[in-house]
Amino acid sequence: MIRFWFLLLVLIRLGQQNQPGVSPCGPRNLTVSRLDQTVLVQWEDDASCSALNDPILYNVTVLVENQDVHSDGVWVAPGLIGSTHSWRWTSPVPMDCAAHTFRLRAQINNQTSRPDQHWTLPDKEAVYSRSVFPQDAALEAGSLATFCCVVPHGQQFHQMHLDGHTGNTTKISEHRYALTVRLKPVKESGADVQCETKSGEVHGATVFIGYPPGDKDLQCETQNLESVDCRWNEGRNTMVKVKSETRYQLDGSPCVIGSELRCSKKVKIGGGERNWTLTAQNVLGQVEIRDSADLTRRVHMFAPHDLSVGDVEARSVRLSWSWTVQQYQNLSLSCQMMASDADGSFLQIKHGVGLKAAVLTELKPNWKYEVKVRCGTAQHFWKWSDWSSRVSFHTDGDAPDALDVWMQKKGSQTVIVWKKLLANQSHGDVTGYEVTWTRTSGSHRLYKVEVNASVHRYTLDGDSIVTVTAKNQHGSSPPSTITVSAASPDETSMNLSCFTGSDGGLDLSWSHRPEASCGYVVDWFPALEADRVDWLKLPPSQNRVRIKPKNDVAGRRYWVSIYACTRGALLLLERKDGFFTERQIQPKFFQSLSYKLRGSDVEIYWDPVPARQQPACIHGYVLYYSKNRGEPITVTTENPADSSLTARNLQSGFYTFIVAAQTVAGAYGNTTLEVLLNDEGSLNNIFISMGAVFILLFLITVLCHRHWACIKEKFYPDIPKPNLADWFTSPVKSVNPYLQSGLGCHGEENMAVPELLLKPAEPLNNNNQEDVDLMSQAPPLNHSNPAQGRHAVSTVFPNPTYNLPAAGPGRPAGPGRPAGLEPSDYHPQSLAEMFGQNQAGQKPIICVSEYIMALQPTQRAAQKNGGKHDGDSAESGEFNR
Amino acid sequence: MGGVMTVKRSTVAKVADLAALVQHECTDVLIQYRNQENLPNDMGSDRLVFVSPPSSQLDIRSKLQSLHSGLDKCYSLLERAIALEKMELDRDQMSEYKNGRRRLKEELLNLLKSTEELLKAAGGKPVRNQDDLEPYHPNNVFHLKLWVYSVYIEVKLWSKTAFTVMKELQSAKEPLKRGKRSTRRTLQ
Repeated sequence: MIRFWFLLLVLIRLGQQNQPGVSPCGPRNLTVSRLDQTVLVQWEDDASCSALNDPILYNVTVLVENQDVHSDGVWVAPGLIGSTHSWRWTSPVPMDCAAHTFRLRAQINNQTSRPDQHWTLPDKEAVYSRSVFPQDAALEAGSLATFCCVVPHGQQFHQMHLDGHTGNTTKISEHRYALTVRLKPVKESGADVQCETKSGEVHGATVFIGYPPGDKDLQCETQNLESVDCRWNEGRNTMVKVKSETRYQLDGSPCVIGSELRCSKKVKIGGGERNWTLTAQNVLGQVEIRDSADLTRRVHMFAPHDLSVGDVEARSVRLSWSWTVQQYQNLSLSCQMMASDADGSFLQIKHGVGLKAAVLTELKPNWKYEVKVRCGTAQHFWKWSDWSSRVSFHTDGDAPDALDVWMQKKGSQTVIVWKKLLANQSHGDVTGYEVTWTRTSGSHRLYKVEVNASVHRYTLDGDSIVTVTAKNQHGSSPPSTITVSAASPDETSMNLSCFTGSDGGLDLSWSHRPEASCGYVVDWFPALEADRVDWLKLPPSQNRVRIKPKNDVAGRRYWVSIYACTRGALLLLERKDGFFTERQIQPKFFQSLSYKLRGSDVEIYWDPVPARQQPACIHGYVLYYSKNRGEPITVTTENPADSSLTARNLQSGFYTFIVAAQTVAGAYGNTTLEVLLNDEGSLNNIFISMGAVFILLFLITVLCHRHWACIKEKFYPDIPKPNLADWFTSPVKSVNPYLQSGLGCHGEENMAVPELLLKPAEPLNNNNQEDVDLMSQAPPLNHSNPAQGRHAVSTVFPNPTYNLPAAGPGRPAGPGRPAGLEPSDYHPQSLAEMFGQNQAGQKPIICVSEYIMALQPTQRAAQKNGGKHDGDSAESGEFNR
Repeated sequence: MGGVMTVKRSTVAKVADLAALVQHECTDVLIQYRNQENLPNDMGSDRLVFVSPPSSQLDIRSKLQSLHSGLDKCYSLLERAIALEKMELDRDQMSEYKNGRRRLKEELLNLLKSTEELLKAAGGKPVRNQDDLEPYHPNNVFHLKLWVYSVYIEVKLWSKTAFTVMKELQSAKEPLKRGKRSTRRTLQ
């Protein structure tokens, strides 16, 4: 609808042009061209203008979406009338986003000319149905950019943002919105401008934000002496390569860029110093970088070509190569030859004009090498060329190097030993050795012996000068001589302290000795494998060295000796033993611990551990002891020869003693002894023992007192007075002193033990388990041996039943016995029975026999009564015996 | 002639696992892509695969036929998306996104081939999509990005569909028949 009214207005204006009084002079052939956001408006004057003598003012008006957004005027002087005029302008609104109309009108002497001309640039939405502009543009970081969103009809604008960042959004027209933001580089794949509608639709465009090229460090040189080769660094990433790859030109000539930034151009070399300019350009801008050089001083040669080997000898070889650039043959060159073998590499350098051959020397015979060459100009050296390709060769063999000879004393004999030649020393396969010697005293006869190639020792005795040579197919090695003295070196003043190495080696140093004219020798060998001797020969100026045995094992003890090499015999300077690598001593290092009590002190002692069983240097011992596993107390000794330590002032209790060996790494080899120190217990035992003795003596005393009569009768009986009248007439007075003691040595209470009875007629109940158990609890009545039991009961110690007359009123019933039963059940034991029951604890038989010797009348009467009652002759018979 | 050809349920289970793997990988790639391009999480996408989804009303063979067509189209789209991205946008060195994109393509191809085997076992015949004779050409980079996003959405949808179909097959009692032909394959 707006466009319709706009066209109507234009038609009306066109109609007015034909009105009289209006100048026909005005613009014609209006054209508008656009480059991005910039427009170029061009027009001509109408032919009628040529008659004018006044300047013409052309008014240019810009309408965006039919809204007047900009106006400007262009004056055309009378002299320029008839030429083409132009006006340039940059739109602040993305031109793809909104239609731009340019209206041109002439004004002459304040009078508007004939109707104006106009030109409209349509928006791209109308052309391509796109919504967000600009599309896929490359924009410079840091600049201010405006993006436009055309909201589709029927939708409502919600928001715009660039890569998530919202900026200043303005409304251009009903459906057009603009977002203005300061640009920051985001990522090479571009940042997205998104325009969202309220219904959730997302429209967008991708823009590439970056920088103009920032290339730098141009450096030009020549390789082929016919062209210049320039290299440079890229500098800052432009970030817009996806959209706009950087293009390069060297002195105006385009460069073809591959994987590296390098550009070549054919030039004439030799014109002295000149400038080289590189232009780097992308859609955002360009940069120029320069270098100034005389290319004759910047020759970067190509690598030598076709390297080959000839004239291979034992210690040298001839190398030759060629050049791909003929002009090199006129240059003064320096060439490096790098030879590499299994051990490493070394360089040799040669000079010459147009050098293309050289002899490589100082090679090892019978050795494999690989060699390569590179060259550069000797005059005005610029750079080394790349290395040539490698070439391998194998040198010829040669006679072996001199042997490294040493000796070992073994009693009166001397073992001459030499090291097996390494591959780089033997220069071929060693076929054998030759040992020759002469005595230093006496005959000067030369002795000679051939030694197999696999043997590296020979044993001699006596003083000698020994020479050893190695032989291979190319000849014999130079002789190696050693002087042997029969006398053993003096070791009495040697320092035999145990050493501990570090990192598997040992640093040795010693005082210089003036007599060491031919240097020093350090040798070492395992204490248990003396044959595995190794050594090092040092010049006289050297008095320190680090030695490190091969194939060392932790905990292996070594002997190390330092000798001075004198004109005569070797002089032993120092000898020590120890460990290059110690091994931690394991627990229970000591065979066993013992102790001795010395009052309140306890001495813990152990068997010395043999040196061969020690895996580390022992610098002393530590004794830890603690009472009842409490806080330990430490006692130490720094003497490795000690074999005991004493813990002092100990009290009674349970003690734990731990002995450890002190090494450099700490105390190890804990061996434990636990001891109960018990002086309180001993006293208790003594007191208990004394108490027991006292009680025993007390019991014996009581017994003796109670049986005093018996004892007295036995050991010193009274001699009875022969007073027979009293004995018969006065029974009261004449109480038999023997019966005063109560019928026996054991007194009356023994009479009150009547229960141990076994009636012979009673059956034995032993038919079941319960019975068995019960049986097992029965008193030992010798059931297992009935014969013995019967004999003991019925024959030896009969237990007869007496039907005694009732006791008199003055006789009390026994304790624990029912009084009513006493008359009929009272079973007094015979003396024999009584003693039989106590025979385990006493020996009363003697007393019984003595006792029976004097039968008293009352007893006799009783016997008579008893005999009358049951007439048991057996009892009486025994009684009479 | 007669006889029953069978497909082991374990085979179907493996294809289901493969579908789950593709779905998982595609989800990861989508997350990386959204983060990389600052796309909103709830952004809609255009449908690019115009194949009827395998409805539950269809028999097993028809389901597999539909699924295979959908996956085949997805694979074609993904191939094209990767090619366009390489051509238009891939200036960066290897990235996690590109590794994921490569794995997704490989696993989707595996899923497609496995589905094809199942379809053959069910008596179906794989049909190649003919509508990709005119490959997509982006109008601009942003549209390419949206289109790639839509491709990933399609791959995710169809891998999910594949997983659902495989689960249905696993629980199905109906044998995998070869249509009217005498040779039949059953699902064990």
